[in-house]
Amino acid sequence: MTVLAHGVGSRTDLPIPLGLALYGAGAAILISFAVLLLFWRTPKLGGPESGRPLPPALQRVLDGAPLRRGLQAVALGCLLLVVAAALAGPPETARNLGPWALYVTFWVGLVPVSLLFGPVWRVANPLRLVHRLLRGVVPAAPGARQLPALGLWPAAVSLVVFLWFELVHPDRAEPGTVAGFLIGYAVVQTALALWFGEGWFARGDGFEVYSVLIARLSPWDRRSDGRLVVRNPLVNALNTPEVPGLAAVVVVLLGSTGFDGITRTVWWQTGPGAANDAFSGTVGLLASIALVAGLYLLGTRLSGRLAGQPPGVQPARYAATVIPIALGYTVAHYFSLLMLDGQTTWILLSNPFGMSGVDLFGTYDNVVDLTAVSPDTIAYVQVGAVIAGHVAGVTLAHERALLSARHARASDQLPLVVVMVLFTVGGLGLLFGF
Amino acid sequence: MTARRTLAALLLPLPLVLAGCAGTEASESGATSTPERSSDSTSPDSTSTDRGSAETSAPAPSSAATAFEVQVTGGQPTGDTGRVLVPLGNRVTVTITSDAPDEAHLHGYDVLVDLEPGTPAELAFDATVPGVFELELHDAGTVLQTLQVG
Repeated sequence: MTVLAHGVGSRTDLPIPLGLALYGAGAAILISFAVLLLFWRTPKLGGPESGRPLPPALQRVLDGAPLRRGLQAVALGCLLLVVAAALAGPPETARNLGPWALYVTFWVGLVPVSLLFGPVWRVANPLRLVHRLLRGVVPAAPGARQLPALGLWPAAVSLVVFLWFELVHPDRAEPGTVAGFLIGYAVVQTALALWFGEGWFARGDGFEVYSVLIARLSPWDRRSDGRLVVRNPLVNALNTPEVPGLAAVVVVLLGSTGFDGITRTVWWQTGPGAANDAFSGTVGLLASIALVAGLYLLGTRLSGRLAGQPPGVQPARYAATVIPIALGYTVAHYFSLLMLDGQTTWILLSNPFGMSGVDLFGTYDNVVDLTAVSPDTIAYVQVGAVIAGHVAGVTLAHERALLSARHARASDQLPLVVVMVLFTVGGLGLLFGF
Repeated sequence: MTARRTLAALLLPLPLVLAGCAGTEASESGATSTPERSSDSTSPDSTSTDRGSAETSAPAPSSAATAFEVQVTGGQPTGDTGRVLVPLGNRVTVTITSDAPDEAHLHGYDVLVDLEPGTPAELAFDATVPGVFELELHDAGTVLQTLQVG
């Protein structure tokens, strides 16, 4: 039904004003050099042991099985409802809960929820409950020993698959596509978890890894002794474990959001993407991810070379410093979708199967208020998020460099900072629409 | 050491060049904020059934009008296709002539108009909601034009 680049949506944002784009780009560049030249010269952020512990009683509740199983059961109920509504609800996208619930409320909503409350989807992942129920009837995970070697690469792959369905699949907005994806995803992920063991979800479930990654910028984290602590989000991000494939996940997220931005430009719609088919979309998505990956590898390896560090370890070492940049651009890109078209989910929830006379919450006849957030507010949120992400990213990279070498020269960090400026200016350019 | 310096010197001006590329025109009026309309965005399920009421405070010159024409022949749209600009508050009329029966749908505003082969059909609405909206053929899925209201 819809040809909009993102899975669903009735509108896209106006281009940000040129002045705002230029101020944003200027600020990003200025701040980058200020961080390099004026910021602290010895590591300043706390280590993995810092932070204020939560009361033990609260931690017992949060870590307890009843809360986790309860949330997982609720999430499983929601998943079943969305799949059933996608299959049996009204056939037209505009009136079917499935696409709106998956692409807007869940996928975009996961960002603010994880940022505020931590790795929510690790706690509430319904597939963990399904796996728990099934693992009694099948032999113990035969592949558990290979799992650590895979790192986060399986999650990067599973995210690419989802993003392809969301951004490229020709019938991405059709309820049937959404139902098919959700069923397929659940079956494949559960089967892989039965093979590799429960640890699979933390490495191979793209949604869970996404939630955990965003939660690195939440105020909640776990100390190495297992205590839950409240601390500066930058400290959490800095202490992200260096797992193989972490950089791949971050690059996939940044590259795919960039691709979604590219598809909204007149240049794409009248040029490379004019055919609006699966081929141009697939090539565009992969090329965007490859471009981000190439720049990132170049920046980190070059910085490592200047600093006399082994270049091979650099991409994984700095991956966490790109999380805020990816997050800032994601907020800029999807804020209005969640606030405006996101209303559709709550309207349709009142009657998920489109039966006459059903109106559970009395909201079914409501119309989405597309003026709920003004274009000015959207533009300021967009530029603000991109710049805030950039500042956090450059700051983290600076601290990371100081941790790697006590007296790291500012010039050594320059290539990575230049790449970060490129990401930010590129992101602002896409919001401006070039 | 010298190689390192050369590299740094090469990379240093890069951001400045990029900033220059971003554009040289005078900054647009968009930065000077217009009075905000209903910014009650705290709860996502607070929906209003009446879009028009939120717009009454906006400086909308309702007298101004914008007209577009689009022809569809053999599935190919011609005329005012691509991205078209519409000032906020204008009365917009899109005249669509198609050689095949279909239905034109303006997203967001959710305005529909039936198309009979060879007969010009008029799709008219007040551009009261800012944003970028697609006008597409429902059955064929072809985008006729993209309206940028703001």
